[in-house]
Amino acid sequence: MQVFKAYFLVIKKNLPQMFIYAGIFLALAVMISSLNKPTPAGEFSQSKIRLAIFNNDTKSQITNELKGFLSKNTEIVLLEDNNEKIQDALFFRNVEYIIRIPAGFAESLRSQKAMQIEKTSVPGSTTAIYTDLLINNFINTTLRYVKFEPLISDKGLAENVKKDLEINTKVEMKSFDTYSGNTLSIVYYFNYLSYSLFAILILGVSAFMMVFNNVDLKRRNLCAPFSSKSLNFQIFLGNLVFAVCVFVVLVGFSFVLYGRDMLTTNAALMCLNTVTFTFAAISASFLIGNFASPNSAPAITNVVTLGTCFISGVFVPQQFLGSTVLSVASFTPTFWFVKANNEIGSMINFSSENLFRLGGYMVTELVFAVLFLVIGFFVAKKRRVTKG
Amino acid sequence: MFAHIYVNRLKCILKDKQIIFWTLMFPILLGTLFYLAFSNLSSAENFSRIPIAIIDNSEYQNSMLKTTIAYVSTDSGSENKMFEVTLTDEKGAEGLLKDNKIKGYILLKSDIGIKLTIKQSGLDQTLIKSFLDTFSQMNSTFTRIIQSDPKKYSDPSKRTELLKSSGYNSSILLEKAASKSKPDTTVNYFYTLIAMACLYGGFLGLKEIGALQADLSPEGARINVAPVHKMIILLSALAAALTVHFAEILVVLAYLIFVLKINFGDQIGFILLLSFVSCMLGLSFGAFVTSVVKKREGIKIGILTGASMFLSFLAGMMYVDIKYMIIKNAPIVGYLNPANLITDGFYALYFYDDHTRFYINLAGILIFTALFCIGTYLVLRRRRYASL
Repeated sequence: MQVFKAYFLVIKKNLPQMFIYAGIFLALAVMISSLNKPTPAGEFSQSKIRLAIFNNDTKSQITNELKGFLSKNTEIVLLEDNNEKIQDALFFRNVEYIIRIPAGFAESLRSQKAMQIEKTSVPGSTTAIYTDLLINNFINTTLRYVKFEPLISDKGLAENVKKDLEINTKVEMKSFDTYSGNTLSIVYYFNYLSYSLFAILILGVSAFMMVFNNVDLKRRNLCAPFSSKSLNFQIFLGNLVFAVCVFVVLVGFSFVLYGRDMLTTNAALMCLNTVTFTFAAISASFLIGNFASPNSAPAITNVVTLGTCFISGVFVPQQFLGSTVLSVASFTPTFWFVKANNEIGSMINFSSENLFRLGGYMVTELVFAVLFLVIGFFVAKKRRVTKG
Repeated sequence: MFAHIYVNRLKCILKDKQIIFWTLMFPILLGTLFYLAFSNLSSAENFSRIPIAIIDNSEYQNSMLKTTIAYVSTDSGSENKMFEVTLTDEKGAEGLLKDNKIKGYILLKSDIGIKLTIKQSGLDQTLIKSFLDTFSQMNSTFTRIIQSDPKKYSDPSKRTELLKSSGYNSSILLEKAASKSKPDTTVNYFYTLIAMACLYGGFLGLKEIGALQADLSPEGARINVAPVHKMIILLSALAAALTVHFAEILVVLAYLIFVLKINFGDQIGFILLLSFVSCMLGLSFGAFVTSVVKKREGIKIGILTGASMFLSFLAGMMYVDIKYMIIKNAPIVGYLNPANLITDGFYALYFYDDHTRFYINLAGILIFTALFCIGTYLVLRRRRYASL
């Protein structure tokens, strides 16, 4: 088992680099799952946009009422009244809508010649349209009372407006298939796992193959007293054990992180999906190992892993990618892995039809595995013939 | 002599495929991937008409809701088109909802009033609900006004006058843009990319310093015995590196601006100035690391790559909110981060109306460059080698 042992000697030398990939991934996973609070399913929760109010018209009941109404329906952000700070906040979406109520606004409402409220928003965005609707509704309601009941007191006006605006539409939630609990985090974890898994496998396998493809070493091995069958078997075994180790570490951590939430059919299917993806990744690594040289290996690793992950929806969800990008991505196993994960995450009905479709994605990943392996052997053979 | 060394260093750099890959091809590749992944991300927050269904029954046909909906739906000639409406029965609506064809459906029944049925919470759903709230609230206002003086409103003409005020008054809000440029958060990713590319210029600094030091390379030993002043050698080598680096950054910028159509604002002169000083910063950063860290080349490269990536991460390359968190909570950390200074410089040119922040960033970059240069000089000056 010399070759098998040598395999892990090479891996051991490259461990620090692999730890970086694994470490960053695990740190991000912890961060994201702590940020991602599970949303209560089955109940409507109003989306609250982030709003900042600069009020120059303090001493009036109706402006206070407006502020109260907005703080009920939005999340009020406190902001320093400084142009640069406001621009920063809007650009990075710490605030999505800013209003400035002019002095004397309440008076102007009473006299039916309403002054304008200055607003700053993200033009054309849904948040802007929604907030416009909220504010206009308040103002229009107030103006109606002022117009048709001109004698109403400020207090009565504020009370009436408040009562009207408390009316709520009944909302019913139909849950056909929705993410629940930690599922969304788990889907994200597994999607992102493909990046680290792929990078670590390429690094390890290509490091080993670069050593063993060294012409002098190869010649030495060829005259060693053991069959090439045994050599290849040991390399195969090395690859397998290595892949299993990486798989166990990366997938195992999800059990530490999500505990009981991992004991579901959905999570089991994701693990299975990761198994098929690992096969595809290790064959791809084998193929790349046949090309790579010590100088080009880091470049190839980065291009392949970052490239496939970006277009396949690992870093940015598939729903945000263009159709051309996605159709190009469908020529990579990562795309099918992510697609399967996303569907597993939202699945509640494990009908044979649904499972069959998932099976199709996983078989596609395995087909890629076989394809890479065949090309890899072909390249290896060609090299053997030309470079002896 | 200067020209001789300059030309030959230029050739040396241009023939180094690895350097050219990391400083030119990699940023272009990453930029392309960013573009593919993020181009739909910014349009995702843009408002697009919300598909809804309405249960078509006699109550709806005879209600005021119908006229109100008609006013904001696609069939109308109005500009405030909010909804894409399908009229159907309850079963059909449920099917549409299940297949994600609509965001929700509305049922109007005399005994329960208006009911909205949705599948999951979200901004679109909140907007639909808010619209229905507005409708009910307006009705409540009318009822309240009529009740206040039932006698007056028993006159149909008075009643019509009141109901006419349901017309939507939306002139109260005055849009004031935050900046001459669109608050498009995704551009920041491309600015950090340029920052990363500039810091990757450190590889060139590393190469040049390595080539000048007698204990690091045979070329260095040869150059050291040449009868040329060390300053001339150093300056000509760095000039060659700067030429290549600046040319590369210009190519990357041109690719981002003209091919990917990323908006950098229109202040070309300032953009070029910022790029140039950023190139100097990257180069001196690499030179500094190389001269201070007395380890083998692999470790120096590791430190350069790791530092560039970490600093770019803090400038928001992987997660844009990181940059804002730092601006808001610890601005000093932002100013101590070279990658953030470069990113922020581009951001200031794009989004701010004046140049104060830009000049602060520019000064920061120049200070860092000077510090790195002085540091490098102190380490390298008057170096003698007793033995090699």
